[in-house]
Amino acid sequence: MKRFTLFSEIGKGCKQILSGIRDSFLEFGLRFSSSSKRAKASFFVMGLGQILYKQYIKGILYLLCEIGFILFFALTGGNLIAGFFTLGSKEADPWLGIKGDNSVIMMILGIFAFLVLGLWVMAYVSNVKDIHEINRKVDEGKELPTFFESVRTYLDKKFHKVTLLFPVIAVLVFNVIPIVFMICIAFTNYGGEIVPPKLVDWTGFESFGKVFSLGGILPTLGKILGWNILWAFASTFLNYVLGLGLALLLNKKIVKGKAIWRSFPILAYAIPGFITLCGFKFMFSNGGPINQIIVANGGSVIQFLGLDSKWIARLIGLLVNAWLNIPTTMLLATGILSNMNASCYEAAKIDGASPAKQFKDLTLPFVVFATTPNLISQFVANFNNFGVFYFLRGGLYMEGYFNASDTDLLINWLYNLSIANNYYSIGAAISLIIFLITGAISLVVYVRSNAYKKEDIYR
Amino acid sequence: MKRTAAALFLGAILALASCGSTGDEEGQGGVYAKFDGKLERGAVLRILENDTAVKQGYLKELLDGFNEKYKEYGILAVDANMDEYSDLENDGPYGYGPDILYQANDSLMKYVYGKHITPIPAERLECYSQVDQNAWEAYRSTVGGTTYTFGVPINIQTSLMYYREDLLPEDSDKNGNGTPDMFENWSELYRYSKQIHEENPSKFGYMKSLDDFYFASGYLFSYGGYIFGENGKDPSDIGLDKGEAYKGAKVLRQLASIMNESCIDNSITLNQYSKLAKGEYFATMTTPDVRSLFLDEMSIEYQKGGLTKEEAGKKAEENLKQIPVPKLPKSGDLNDVSGEMVSMKTMGGINGYAMSSYTQYPNAALAFIDYASSYEMVKRRHEILSIATCRADLASEGDDLSKTLFHQLSESKIEIMPSIRETAQIWTPAGTLCKDLANDPYRAAGDQKYVTDEAIRNKLAEVCKQIHEAIYALQ
Repeated sequence: MKRFTLFSEIGKGCKQILSGIRDSFLEFGLRFSSSSKRAKASFFVMGLGQILYKQYIKGILYLLCEIGFILFFALTGGNLIAGFFTLGSKEADPWLGIKGDNSVIMMILGIFAFLVLGLWVMAYVSNVKDIHEINRKVDEGKELPTFFESVRTYLDKKFHKVTLLFPVIAVLVFNVIPIVFMICIAFTNYGGEIVPPKLVDWTGFESFGKVFSLGGILPTLGKILGWNILWAFASTFLNYVLGLGLALLLNKKIVKGKAIWRSFPILAYAIPGFITLCGFKFMFSNGGPINQIIVANGGSVIQFLGLDSKWIARLIGLLVNAWLNIPTTMLLATGILSNMNASCYEAAKIDGASPAKQFKDLTLPFVVFATTPNLISQFVANFNNFGVFYFLRGGLYMEGYFNASDTDLLINWLYNLSIANNYYSIGAAISLIIFLITGAISLVVYVRSNAYKKEDIYR
Repeated sequence: MKRTAAALFLGAILALASCGSTGDEEGQGGVYAKFDGKLERGAVLRILENDTAVKQGYLKELLDGFNEKYKEYGILAVDANMDEYSDLENDGPYGYGPDILYQANDSLMKYVYGKHITPIPAERLECYSQVDQNAWEAYRSTVGGTTYTFGVPINIQTSLMYYREDLLPEDSDKNGNGTPDMFENWSELYRYSKQIHEENPSKFGYMKSLDDFYFASGYLFSYGGYIFGENGKDPSDIGLDKGEAYKGAKVLRQLASIMNESCIDNSITLNQYSKLAKGEYFATMTTPDVRSLFLDEMSIEYQKGGLTKEEAGKKAEENLKQIPVPKLPKSGDLNDVSGEMVSMKTMGGINGYAMSSYTQYPNAALAFIDYASSYEMVKRRHEILSIATCRADLASEGDDLSKTLFHQLSESKIEIMPSIRETAQIWTPAGTLCKDLANDPYRAAGDQKYVTDEAIRNKLAEVCKQIHEAIYALQ
């Protein structure tokens, strides 16, 4: 039964959303029918009701808001939304200086227009709520607040709305639009030869169809996905265990010169990752320092990152990634360990608990509890770890793989397909698939973790 | 005085334009209409040059000369100050791209498809008759049934053999033709390399990272292989396995056996300068533009031997030799020293100037290209950057190497990199192939994959199929 918790949770969530929508429509109808004539005016023209109730400034602001939206949609917004659907009809010719339609820009602006439409709906809803409130107060014979009094509540009772306004706008513009844009691209033929000034078209699920139907792509997806999941678990585990181990070690009283020892991982952390990776690539190359030492001692060259060294290269990838990520975990764990309650350990010692027992029952649960969200983000970051194999062993297409090598992760393959070969729509489709996978794994792990289930235990 | 010169130049351009000297331009008035000969006053041209030209000070000289010449028109050419490989496709349409780009032909011609670079009335330029037709061909492309020229060739980039004269044994040029005997053909070089390594295991003869398809492709080309059919214009015909290309792959594999594992990855590309300077490597093959890197390292080594900086620099200059690549045995077997030899083809690129379609100042930009491709400026470029020129007049009065390379170009011994955008799909699969071949001698005897001709042929066919899929599968 437990296994289905996640799905039933999702199902419940969907139901809630649907019934919420239904309820709000019902409420809207109810409010309309129960409103006075003056109030009803606001349902048709934003702010009119407020003006009729002599709330002039507020009414005019709502009215201006409505006029602004109508003007925007009459002048450009309508075209932007139409452009979102057509993605352009006139092709540019830079040679003749003919400025044509840029499908990609049209798509982004279309999404923007939808956003503005959404804002308008929100403004309308707030207008309806407001007139309902006014209506109620008048019916109850209460005095209506003046405009300045209403504004003042935004610095007091409703201050959270003011502070959240700007972050929300920033999130909409910088996060939501790009994500929606990326999702939209998966449903077009953007990429390959179809890049501006050529016109892009909507193609529905064609890109997904290609991913699943073309010979070579699906087997490659399978192979890479298998390795990718193994990699994500192995590297997260390795980084976590070694980072925690290092933190515990450096936390021991008997260690002399902690500050110096601690500074080494921090140095490794401070050097930009790609420089470290290029350094490791050089060290492990056939003519690199490690092989020079081996040869000087009478050995023969080991091809660490060679064509035939699938598992050696994978192992080196794991270790190099550990080198890069252990410092993060170590720092985090060090901070958390300093928060441990020392009296717990004393009590445990008096009760005769061995150090191993103390670690297992005191330290580990505490650290794991505090770091679960971080662990999940590390898992996702490792799942999508682009740098390690791009820098260590990029530029190989292996037999049995479509435009990929046997150490490539999905994200590297995605790069080969989308950036290196310009197949943007296929890339977007694959990244949606990756998102479904990582999203599902993260959600399951998080929902089942103590950090989620027993949120208030350690407070 | 300068005003008159500029006026004369303008007059010349106008005269040439009005002659309608070429049939090429007829009926294409639309595309060329912007080149009306009226220099745009106050134009600011952003020039994207390659990094070496910027570093060695050539670009500054070029800009200063041009700005001085067109001072009275208020035209100013400036360093675009962008990444050498910045993408015109993404920058140009929004007005951020350079006005003029200097790059290899394949990098420039990939912009033709989206019309990001504009056709140039090349016949109006002073250099038109001097530049070899094979070089112009690299910049021609047919769009909508009409063939246009999109760039102005400046220099030839291809592989050369580098060696140190002071490492040559006594009496190494028995036939007295100026080429040391071991560089007459690859079989001799193979034999001599083996000899060096046998005499002193820490030394090697010819050394080269073989996984770089740019250099390795020459072996395939020499036996009939090619990248794309129809002179690099038909991507549906991938020809790495055509003719007797497998012999070239065999040569590559044989060459790997006289080196060490460093030839399988880019180790030699990284250490070739210092190792040649230290005398651990006897010879290598690379492009002409890296000459100064060898000279620097050699100079350091000579200084360690007690010479002053000037003496060391001079000695390095005297001893570093660049010669055309040796011939290949027709049999495709490097143990064959006495059989018939065929000349080797090499992959090459033609670097040149192209004009962005988004420039506001096409006439000023054309004047800049004309200036930059003039005899004087290309000569300076040759002097500062030691490039091999595409201009016949300069090549004929230049050193032997310039002459030889120009000759190789006009004789089609240089396989110009295809200019179509599908070329981008070649490098990784073909590079993996070369790596695989170079790796083969270092596999255990039973694990070697390419012992028979048959196995090599199959592999080549497979790689062609792989490239074909990469090009067409997702279109």
